Amino acid sequence: MAKSSYSKVDEYGFERSENFNYESYDAFMSDYMRVLTRRAQRWNALENNIFRNTSVLKRFIRKGIPIDRRTDVWMRISGADKIKQNSQYSYSYMKKQIHNKAIIETIKIDLPRTFPDNIYFISNEALPEMLFGVLATFAHQNKEVGYCQGLNYITGLLLLATKDEESSFWLLKAIVDQILPQYYISTMTGLLTDLDVLDDLISKYEPVVSRHIKAIGMPWAMGTTKWFICIFAEVLPTETVYRIWDCLFYEGSKIIFRVAITLIRLHKPEILGATELGELMMCFKAMRSSEAVIDCHQFMKDVFKLSGNLSKNSIQKLREKYKK
Amino acid sequence: MSSGASGGGGGGGAASGGGNSNHQRGAAQRPNGQTQNKICQFKLVLLGESAVGKSSLVLRFVKGQFHEYQESTIGAAFLTQTICLDDTTVKFEIWDTAGQERYHSLAPMYYRGAQAAIVVYDITNQDTFGRAKTWVKELQRQASPTIVIALAGNKQDLANKRMVEYEEAQAYADENGLLFMETSAKTAMNVSEIFLAIARKLPKNDQSGGGGGGAGGSSQGRRLAEGDSGSRGPAGACCK
Ligand SMILES: Nc1nc2c(ncn2[C@@H]2O[C@H](COP(=O)(O)OP(=O)(O)OP(=O)(O)O)[C@@H](O)[C@H]2O)c(=O)[nH]1
Ligand SMILES: [Mg+2]
Repeated sequence: MAKSSYSKVDEYGFERSENFNYESYDAFMSDYMRVLTRRAQRWNALENNIFRNTSVLKRFIRKGIPIDRRTDVWMRISGADKIKQNSQYSYSYMKKQIHNKAIIETIKIDLPRTFPDNIYFISNEALPEMLFGVLATFAHQNKEVGYCQGLNYITGLLLLATKDEESSFWLLKAIVDQILPQYYISTMTGLLTDLDVLDDLISKYEPVVSRHIKAIGMPWAMGTTKWFICIFAEVLPTETVYRIWDCLFYEGSKIIFRVAITLIRLHKPEILGATELGELMMCFKAMRSSEAVIDCHQFMKDVFKLSGNLSKNSIQKLREKYKK
Repeated sequence: MSSGASGGGGGGGAASGGGNSNHQRGAAQRPNGQTQNKICQFKLVLLGESAVGKSSLVLRFVKGQFHEYQESTIGAAFLTQTICLDDTTVKFEIWDTAGQERYHSLAPMYYRGAQAAIVVYDITNQDTFGRAKTWVKELQRQASPTIVIALAGNKQDLANKRMVEYEEAQAYADENGLLFMETSAKTAMNVSEIFLAIARKLPKNDQSGGGGGGAGGSSQGRRLAEGDSGSRGPAGACCK
């Protein structure tokens, strides 16, 4: 990844916001570059033995998967490889079955509306075409989901990371079919359940924030629907999102709650300072560019510093409690 | 990425936000020093099928901008804009919702307690007009009975590809007591006008009016007023 502290565009092709703090970013980046180099060396030293010891693997993944290994590692740890192997049809075969005019039309409208300020998406026709391929193929083979807005952003970031249409398809399938079931179906019941789970967790982890937000009258869905639907794509800086996805693919959807609680915790003073709904919404919107989330390495440390029971089991119990 | 800082910040500045500073007839001068004018705050929600131009209308109104390719909205976006109307400063708290059908179940939390709604369709697409009518029905049934509803036939600049006749929409609006305008977020036609027309129609003196304190589910408004040391009336509706 190129050092980009003076570029108006980040290393993944996104335009930086007007109020982007180059100075603090520069400070973070000079450290982070060193981290990335060290991580790459550690991963290389272990080669494929990395997959033998699950606790080492987990630790390594939490510290970030090197960019050049991301596609392969994601495919392997997310279950996408398995889905692909077990699939009756190949991607190219399924892609040829695209026919439903309504679906095609809906997806086509969203192609230029996906990352219109990303230089790779606007300057390169290949990317929107790949985006169409993945989304339309997906929509045809999962009829219950079809095309759900939000998947365009997830797929867009998958493509920017993997630069590969087929891997992006299988990874998307792992996300929608296995990692976040029921999120994207027409009733969005999985999302509604998880919003209640978040509410429950915040009331335990941050009771003061929870009461404050209830007093102001913000349903969690207002501030956080996009967190869940886009798995933080278009919510947090790109590198931070990839670091979250590294863990999501290995550890599953419980990670989302860790991230959400951490975000709320890191911005607690601002949240408590908001006196009405509008201010509160501004405060949620501002989280995307706060220093605490730009320093993705520290952020991920914070995410895993959270103590308390956020295991797969306890999240599962809460999900059953709030099942729709 | 997402397009949105809001125009309105804290208290009662007139016509804040970038862009459109020429608020036509409404733009009364601000008295120097003392704030003599009333300040009203209204919650407004935009509803309508995906890609009809809801976010674009808001972006035009709040920042005076237009993007050829506007990102699809997930969940909802929140923005504010303040305009002057005669002796009143009207602050809109705008909820720009996601249009795709499956996000429908999340919509009530945005129109509940809203004093105004703009239901948008695309004049080049008949289906979106049908969808707009469904939204109007839902608002009439579920939203505050005093909600001011405006119907916006957007993309008027594409009138050569028109599929919904002006007269048809006007007749429908008349039958249902809606404000109606054809708009273009692209050329700015009728954009500030439609917000201004809504502002005119909203009650600005009635403390308990404005739908904020009305029957169903405006707990938000009320709670907000409790926690808020007085920038709003007791019912969360408006003026001081
Ligand atoms: N020609 C023309 N195009 C418009 C106009 N308003 C919006 N558009 C375009 O229509 C597309 C969709 O606009 P949006 O504002 O994103 O639509 P939306 O209703 O917010 O869509 P969702 O967020 O998906 O619900 C964008 O590419 C806009 O540039 C208009 O007045 N004229
Ligand atoms: Mg929108």
